[in-house]
Amino acid sequence: MSILGGGIFKGMAVTLRNFVGSYFSKERFITTNEYSWRPESELPQSIGDYPKEEGEQLSDTTTVNHYSRNFPMLLHDTGEPMDTIRCVACQICERECPPQCIYIEKSTEKKENADGKPQFYPAKFDIDVSVCMSCQICVEVCPFDAIVMNSQFELSTPDRFGGLLVRRDDLLKSNDYYHKIHPQEAATRDERMAADKAAKEAKKKAAAEKAKAAAEAKAAAAEAANESKEDTE
Amino acid sequence: MTTAAPNYELLQQEGLETSLLEISMGPHHPSTHGVFRMDVKLDGETVVELRPVFGYLHRNHEKLAENMTYLSSMPFTDRLDYFNSMTNNWAYALAAEKLIEVEVPERAEYLRVIMAELTRLVNHVTLVGFFVNDLGALGTPLMYAFREREKILDLFEQASGARMMCNYFRFGGLRNDVPEGWLDRTRELVDRFPAFLDEYEQLLCENEIILSRTQGVGNLSRELAVNAGITGPMLRASGVNYDLRKVDAYGIYDRFKFRVPYTDGDTGDCYDRFMIRMLEMRESVAILKQALADIPEGDIIGKVSKVFKPKPAEAYGRIEGPKGELGFYLIADGTTKPYRYRVRPPSLINLTVLRDMCLGGKIADACIILGSIDIVLGEVDR
Amino acid sequence: MSLELIKDILLATVPLLVIFPSLFAFTTWMERKALARIQNRIGPNKIGIPCTRIGLFGLGQPAADGIKMIFKEDIVPRGADKLFHLLAPILALIPAMLILCFLPLEFPWGKFMSGQVQAFLLDSAVIFFFAISGLATLAIFMAGWASRNKYSLLGGMRAVAQMVSYEIPLVLSAVVVVMMAGSLNAKEIADVQTGFNWFVLTPWGLAAFIVFFVAALAETNRSPFDLPEAESEIIAGYFTEYSGFKFALFFLGEYIAMFAISGLAVTLFLGAGDGPFLAVAPWLSVVWFIAKIFGLIAVMIWLRGTLPRLRVDQLMAFAWKFLLPLSIFNILLAGMSHHVTVAYPGTTAQVVTWTVSLVGMYVMAKGLDKISRSTAKPREYLYAE
Ligand code: SF4
Ligand code: SF4
Repeated sequence: MSILGGGIFKGMAVTLRNFVGSYFSKERFITTNEYSWRPESELPQSIGDYPKEEGEQLSDTTTVNHYSRNFPMLLHDTGEPMDTIRCVACQICERECPPQCIYIEKSTEKKENADGKPQFYPAKFDIDVSVCMSCQICVEVCPFDAIVMNSQFELSTPDRFGGLLVRRDDLLKSNDYYHKIHPQEAATRDERMAADKAAKEAKKKAAAEKAKAAAEAKAAAAEAANESKEDTE
Repeated sequence: MTTAAPNYELLQQEGLETSLLEISMGPHHPSTHGVFRMDVKLDGETVVELRPVFGYLHRNHEKLAENMTYLSSMPFTDRLDYFNSMTNNWAYALAAEKLIEVEVPERAEYLRVIMAELTRLVNHVTLVGFFVNDLGALGTPLMYAFREREKILDLFEQASGARMMCNYFRFGGLRNDVPEGWLDRTRELVDRFPAFLDEYEQLLCENEIILSRTQGVGNLSRELAVNAGITGPMLRASGVNYDLRKVDAYGIYDRFKFRVPYTDGDTGDCYDRFMIRMLEMRESVAILKQALADIPEGDIIGKVSKVFKPKPAEAYGRIEGPKGELGFYLIADGTTKPYRYRVRPPSLINLTVLRDMCLGGKIADACIILGSIDIVLGEVDR
Repeated sequence: MSLELIKDILLATVPLLVIFPSLFAFTTWMERKALARIQNRIGPNKIGIPCTRIGLFGLGQPAADGIKMIFKEDIVPRGADKLFHLLAPILALIPAMLILCFLPLEFPWGKFMSGQVQAFLLDSAVIFFFAISGLATLAIFMAGWASRNKYSLLGGMRAVAQMVSYEIPLVLSAVVVVMMAGSLNAKEIADVQTGFNWFVLTPWGLAAFIVFFVAALAETNRSPFDLPEAESEIIAGYFTEYSGFKFALFFLGEYIAMFAISGLAVTLFLGAGDGPFLAVAPWLSVVWFIAKIFGLIAVMIWLRGTLPRLRVDQLMAFAWKFLLPLSIFNILLAGMSHHVTVAYPGTTAQVVTWTVSLVGMYVMAKGLDKISRSTAKPREYLYAE
């Protein structure tokens, strides 16, 4: 084997450069937790910045990158969670979820939702987060924008079975919270929903007008028919 | 000993009893890249017999997919080769798109290429790191590789919400558009990547120890490679110029100018396999630069109905994954679920020549040969 | 036994038993930190003063490691040979500690000793050094055999083959120094080099030092020659089946052996305790000595952070076909240049011997390289458009 070339020394120069560089250049440095989307001033400056004090992380929704997704949550609009819940228990997500980790029980009677329309609601809505694989399929298939991804990740619990089965009331989060954790995504979603709603209303109006027009036409036609009848008489 | 390899004779001496040393390397072993097992017979340090054992990570992927809707198995493809979820998604989407008539929008095609090439960078850069780790380095190249990988995974997270299990491709396009500023961040990364590659090459490519450890080890002849159905960088290292990006030109690969590195086929050893990947990274950077320069604005998903229900048909979609030809074969029977779903995993098929390459080498060679094949057990066992 | 003798024994041994294990702790910290920085990580940084968040750059890490090691369960495989499994780590540590005594460390309290027990005054210190350090091979093989684990056995076999082979270039490169100094006594060898007459500053000394250092890396199982504990191939080699305190003993033994062999390199080639300001403060010699040891260890760490390891046949070939002929050739060169410089004092002769030796060494090394039929070189690749 040949040792006499310069390859080994070249390699050693690289490691030396990295050794020195790790003290001076931030680019080289591996931070155990990437905060690249944060402004410079918020980057962890010293050891001890991470992990945060116990418990702090739970409430600090900005600990993770706001693009990331973890487990689903149910959305409700401003107001009492159960009064403004968007989910109508249509059970599409339950059917589509690849690992089958959503369990829904539909309510027997209807209740008014945020728009004041009577709707069914989930009497039970459990997600087994020990099975959930954070794939976001449920979010995509939901026709009512009722379920979105949360980014909370501190979910460890001493109770292996019950503790990881998240119930409806724990899943329910307000739209404001959603805006806080996924600002860009939430804004687009709201925009689209508003557009959908407007389109629907416009359609409804158009339909109503059309119906009215049709009724008028019908009436006119009937009158004309009557007249012609009279004429023939 | 009847199991001795061809041309191999055990020392027989009067009054001296000799036998081979049998070792079951794995499923828990630092260099078997997951739960893979090699039953080896050693004469001293020389490998006389080798039997690969796998299936420890079997998750019934294909049968599962046959029992759920087309879209629902998309997230499961992420878990095949968990280093390259983006390319897995693409291969599956390609197969499904052949079942229905759909036009993939321009912007989505560009983003697909960008994602696939970033994935290739992730795969190759970490593969080289792991490979040198198998050679016995103390993780220094691997750490550099992981630093770069981390930056790319951050980009993936920003686009798709997850770092590894991206689940980003959809039939007819992509799930969502990339967020504001993503393309600029990617451009910055791509601009900086060659500098890192220079350093990486300086560290590894001329190191005499790496040269002498890898050259002449694990030779794979062109004939055997072709006959065994080897694909990807491993095939090109054996001297066959075959790259699906050129052959099939799927997506919009025909619009980019890039070169495919390959060897003259004289050696086909671990060093070639290692170098081909190093060189491929430069080409990926070239593709990325072009794609990022030309990407248009527009839609990201074509017109696909919400219920995916193709007419009875067969389709095979394949792409040049970082590890080789990754293919998905689907038979639709007119329902919302595929009748047959089959994956052609490059890792498994490339692994079939392991025994041929290892026999007669040292046990240390077996480790690096396995490393140079580039397997991910999620894909081998499915 | 007289009181005098007891005092001497204590003064000679206690410092060694205190200083080197604590240096060991420091070295593990240094190694982890340096490797981390080479890999662009932070390395140990949390454990400093207990019960506070003061990190002290992780200096408390070795202590924490030690505590962990002691309290860990000591697992002995059922099929293992219990007695030898226990004896092996002890036997690995003893020779390493023993050879520390042969280092010519001049502690300031040396003047209170009557000189009866100072081991380095032994006339054949260098021979003893090699003889005793050879014992470590036995301990390693014992560990490999007694564990009843195939990986351990392979590791043990590798260790024996490697350490026996590399002992030869190691000794042969030290022969040059013995020849020149005319003594096997470590103290005398050190004295010859005072005033910056270090042997490494001569052509033959430089070559011998490089050979010695490479062989020393192999002797102490350091990267790139760490085959006996090659993680990616044979798990952890001969100490696969060791845990807890026995593992810690192996670890300690390995590092002490590293100190010892670097100490010998310092004694033979780097002028032992020689350095500036000795006239002002003679106690500085200990400091210089240890600083030089640490210099060598830093290079070892640096190599470890950079290089992958050799294969077992290449390792053997490197020892027998490269280092061994080179070190024999170096003996020849050393004798020649000594006679030339003695016969013709003056700078011209110096220059001539330097050039001749360096050229000779280079040609010899290149030739050996050729003979070993090494064909490894970077290749050219084709591109398809
Ligand atoms: S994220 Fe995926 S796995 Fe989790 S509940 Fe939704 S569909 Fe099911
Ligand atoms: S979350 Fe959406 S899809 Fe699931 S039951 Fe509620 S409304 Fe239906």
